[in-house]
Amino acid sequence: MANVSIRGLTKKFAEVAAVDDFHLEIGDGEFVSLLGPSGCGKTTTLRLLAGFLQPDGGEIRAAGEVISSPVHLVPPERRQMSMIFQSYAVWPHMTVAQNVAYGLKFKKLTKQEIEKKVTKLLGVVHLAELKDRYSAELSGGQQQRVALARALVVEPQILLMDEPLSNLDANLREEMRFEIRRLHEEFKITTVYVTHDQAEAMATSDRIAVLDRGRLVQVGRPNEIFDRPATRFVAEFVGKANILTGRFGGDGLLQLGDGVKIRVAGGSECAPSERVTVCLRPHNISLVSGDAEARRLAEQNYNLFPGVIRRSIYFGDSVDYTMQLPSSGVLRVIAPPTQRYEPGQQIIAAAHPDACVIVRDE
Amino acid sequence: MPASQTGTFRRVGYTGWSAFRFKDPTFPVWIGAAILLVFLMLLPLGAIFRASLWDDTGLTLNRYFEVFTNEQFLKAIWNTLIISTWVGVLAVMTGALLAFLVTRTDLPWKKPIRALVMASFVTPPFLGAFAWTLLAGPNAGALNKLYRAVTGSEEALFNIFTMPGLIFVMALYSFPFVFSMIANVCELISSDLEDAAEILGANKWRTAWTVTLPLAMPALIGGFILAFLQSLSLFGAPAILGLPAGLHTITTQIWALFQYPPRLDLAAAFSVPLLLATMALIAVQKKILGRKGYSTVGGKGGQKRLIHLGLGRVPVLLFVFGILSLSVFLPYWILLKAALSKAWAMPLTWDNFTLHNFSFAFFEYGDTQRAIYNTFKLGIVTATLGTLLATLIAYVTHRNLFRGARYLTFFALAPLVIPGIVLAVGLFIVYTRPPLVLYGTIWILFVAFLTKEMPIGFSQAESTFKSIHPELEDASRIIGANRLISLKDITAPLARSGLIAAWSFIFIGVIRELSAAILLFAPSSKVVSVVIFDLKEEGQVGVIAVLGTLMLAVSFLVILGVQWFAGRDVVATRE
Repeated sequence: MANVSIRGLTKKFAEVAAVDDFHLEIGDGEFVSLLGPSGCGKTTTLRLLAGFLQPDGGEIRAAGEVISSPVHLVPPERRQMSMIFQSYAVWPHMTVAQNVAYGLKFKKLTKQEIEKKVTKLLGVVHLAELKDRYSAELSGGQQQRVALARALVVEPQILLMDEPLSNLDANLREEMRFEIRRLHEEFKITTVYVTHDQAEAMATSDRIAVLDRGRLVQVGRPNEIFDRPATRFVAEFVGKANILTGRFGGDGLLQLGDGVKIRVAGGSECAPSERVTVCLRPHNISLVSGDAEARRLAEQNYNLFPGVIRRSIYFGDSVDYTMQLPSSGVLRVIAPPTQRYEPGQQIIAAAHPDACVIVRDE
Repeated sequence: MPASQTGTFRRVGYTGWSAFRFKDPTFPVWIGAAILLVFLMLLPLGAIFRASLWDDTGLTLNRYFEVFTNEQFLKAIWNTLIISTWVGVLAVMTGALLAFLVTRTDLPWKKPIRALVMASFVTPPFLGAFAWTLLAGPNAGALNKLYRAVTGSEEALFNIFTMPGLIFVMALYSFPFVFSMIANVCELISSDLEDAAEILGANKWRTAWTVTLPLAMPALIGGFILAFLQSLSLFGAPAILGLPAGLHTITTQIWALFQYPPRLDLAAAFSVPLLLATMALIAVQKKILGRKGYSTVGGKGGQKRLIHLGLGRVPVLLFVFGILSLSVFLPYWILLKAALSKAWAMPLTWDNFTLHNFSFAFFEYGDTQRAIYNTFKLGIVTATLGTLLATLIAYVTHRNLFRGARYLTFFALAPLVIPGIVLAVGLFIVYTRPPLVLYGTIWILFVAFLTKEMPIGFSQAESTFKSIHPELEDASRIIGANRLISLKDITAPLARSGLIAAWSFIFIGVIRELSAAILLFAPSSKVVSVVIFDLKEEGQVGVIAVLGTLMLAVSFLVILGVQWFAGRDVVATRE
């Protein structure tokens, strides 16, 4: 097993930096996701890790050894890595068993040893029955399992995954998330997982690194990323977010545009009259209609936003409300379906100060 | 390694030769293939320019002066221009009409028609020209005899040994090029565009004239240039049909300069204008066809509705088969008849029937056995090594393995602009002197064929690679296979049918090649096409017919084999 350390990694395509001064330390046996929208450089980073691309600056070390730098490049085949591709890349001219066995050809093993390993791995990914099939005869999910078995059978030091689930349908995708996590718990291989789907990243990863335009924006455990987004970009990309802006008054309260004052997490550390942006998750807001209840919440230092329900969408397990504030602003609230409010109804939204997180607005 | 790394790490951004060492252990293979290709292309061209510009005293333009003041040479150039222009016009007319009928109307029997166009394509023009001497020679020509028998006239109806005769035969074997080009375009023009015209009130034929034709215009011009170039570089047909009438073209003139006493320097100087003209025309063609969004309208083709010919179906079909009988049925019939009869001009009765031509050609006549052996040996060796080299080069350019790799495309396609006879002049100059004397062996032919067939092999390999997802190969590299092993285990097997097609195209190209072979053969290294050309002088019609039939039969067998293997239409993938 190996830890990976990425230092100042830079890759340019036609003078445009696809990856720009990227730093990340990945621990031995850790599962890290690179999360970001398309074009953020996450796939380029992965291909740099695999050695398919050579960096223009910085370096990558695996277990302390430099494997990529502008002057030094260990070719992919000598990196002791495995990779899972978006297209599965199951070789159509080989059977399932031949696909899985291929990587073992390059290790000095006897035929019996190879067969034993292949059989074992096919069992792990539940494909033992299909070992003589060709990829054309497999479903997308089965092909992805072949790709997983083929990657794991060579006992790689590091496993790279490039949006492995994006070609699967929604149900299968959810199932495979757990499968990937299960396999990680079983083999404990250092894993770098590229995705644009935050739910996938949350379900599989120990830590998530959020990328934007070639730069690393924030790295942390899934709950840190979600609850304490560092920037407005992270707040909006990972989950849904209400973005509020305001200025600090002398009283340590944040003054929003229309005279509403709210308490925010860490607000006491901010200088008066500083302009800040705040993220407030729709899930962290509750709606109350009675004055008594509102007063009770106000006593517990909750921030209150009076307003009018403008639109409500029923999702079965939740209701998505859009609320008009007295100012021109709107607030999105996701509430349990037990309480129902109709458009036009006067309402008060309440949010705990800890849920109002200051983010950098870049 | 990590300890020493700090030293090199300071030189960030520096990528010297040493970097390659780590980059790829298979690097020598790729760079080796690239260097081989560049040498293959540059040596003969360099030799031509050198021989045409240098003499014992140094740089001189005397050769050019000599060429362009000599009336005989100027006449040859003039003849070539007239012939090529006519061939271009006729080929475009027939090729485009046939392509339109096959792709856009409800003409019956489209598959056999396509197959027959394919047959004209595969027929070597010199063989077609030879067959037409039997059909329309002024005295014994079968069609002329028929004409005399029917009309009682003393005159001949056609004399094929004239410039119109030559133009006619060359057009017969050039129109398939235009056909495949236009057929592709017609299949790409979606009916939506034509529907738009019809909604505005135009009838079908008017639509075809005002919408379809202009959309196909770039392809028509491109097709004209292709046919023009084809006839510019042909040697066999003009030699067989033009020389007896004292009609020289550029290629036959170059060949004549190689006869005793050889004037290599003049041949080189005479080759240069041909080379430059070809280059210029290819550049024009590229420019016309390269304007995207014009020639490849609609991209996917969409749904096409066919024009109903109605009552016209029968006459149109007769017309189409009329053309195909000129290029295929009549020539094949006369060749087969000549191969099987004692006297080719007599009707093929039981008395006239013989298999002696076959036994004579295969077992008695001195040159043929060796020539057949040489031809197949060259075909197999060139096709195999050519496919290998083309595969490696296509891989290098497709994966852009090192800086400047994409310029290799230029070198791989360069022979398209080098007429076979010009290539032969260059190779003759290079390989008749040290350090590498290949002249007199079949290896100079191998080098010529390898060079000449590289564009077909390369474009076939490249288009096949394009259809293979690069992740399939990445997947094998990351688990331990280097580039070469990945190419061998993954990419090449996946590209199998494309590479087999490349092999076959090269093979067929080699066994029918005449214009380069005619300058490069030696007595021990004769090939079938050269033997046919020689036998023409001796009037050995039966043996020629046998060899021609053999050549055609092998070509068709190879094509059928590929189609059977790949399960798809080879003609469609050629463009």
